[in-house]
Amino acid sequence: MEKTVYIRLRHRLQVRPDEVIFLKDIAQVIADEEIYEPLCKLALYQVTVNDRNIVVIDVMKVIRAITNLFPNMEVQSIGPAQGIVEIVAKKRKVSFPLFLLVWLLLFIGAALAIMNFHEDVSMQAVQLRIYTIITGEVDSKPLIFQIPYSIGLGLGMIIFFNHVFKKRLNEEPSPLEVEMFNYQLDLDNYVALHENKESMKRIDDH
Amino acid sequence: MMTINVVLVMIIGFAGGVAVGSGFVAFLAVLGIIPRLTQLTKTMKMIHYYEAAVILGALAGAIATLWNPVLFFTPFLLIPLGLAAGIFVGMLAAALTEVLNVFPILAKRIGVDGKIAILLMAFVFGKVIGSLFQWIYFVNR
Repeated sequence: MEKTVYIRLRHRLQVRPDEVIFLKDIAQVIADEEIYEPLCKLALYQVTVNDRNIVVIDVMKVIRAITNLFPNMEVQSIGPAQGIVEIVAKKRKVSFPLFLLVWLLLFIGAALAIMNFHEDVSMQAVQLRIYTIITGEVDSKPLIFQIPYSIGLGLGMIIFFNHVFKKRLNEEPSPLEVEMFNYQLDLDNYVALHENKESMKRIDDH
Repeated sequence: MMTINVVLVMIIGFAGGVAVGSGFVAFLAVLGIIPRLTQLTKTMKMIHYYEAAVILGALAGAIATLWNPVLFFTPFLLIPLGLAAGIFVGMLAAALTEVLNVFPILAKRIGVDGKIAILLMAFVFGKVIGSLFQWIYFVNR
């Protein structure tokens, strides 16, 4: 009787340089007990220096390796068709001066941007008018409106991002985290198709 | 001739109002502030009342700009009013930042995936300090 093995490639995998990638690293495997062990120890790829930092392992390569080992095996692949292997040399330390520089850049940029926005939408004129409508008096600097406004500005951004430093206001992911995730997914999609020589076939005429 | 003029002006005014009103709603919809607020407060069922709030707010703003009413209230009413206006503009600014998509790229470039909240606080403090600086020191100079 023909036996079936189910594999599901992992989306992302981090390895050290010069490591050998085994089937159990790159995929979740369901198989009969007598073949499970040899399957898990099936070497798929030797990471070398030439690989730089990303290797894409196509599911076809995995199936080919499994059928080489067990010719009568039926392989069922579930999930993504490519696994992305990220080669991590050593943990990259965040350089603190660089971080400080970016922090200051964002800080000053945000301050300038909000001042430009206020000028652009004539915020001062509107505020003076609101002051006059509510109180009936004229004040060229209605700080009683403007200081709560400025604090509210920061509060609104915090509410939107659902973040106060490390503390979260509730369980849901913030729009920024979703955005980060989407960006990573786009990058992965690009890498999976672009770094994978099997996924494209071109006319070779140069 | 007079009647035609009046009707023409009414049509132009009405058409302008329709265009600006639909544009305003489209702008709010693109930013996604209302869905974000309902998501945070878990009040999806009340969304129609939020629609009414936006419409009434826009009408109140139109009345305030066109009729110049004067209410003679206490200035302390301006504190909650200013806070609410600030929160709304803050959410607006945050939504725009998100649309710009700079943060994910920036965080990847300098490799601070874990510290993105601190970068975010740079943005928040920048807005608050910039705004305070403008109103307390920068204007009328």
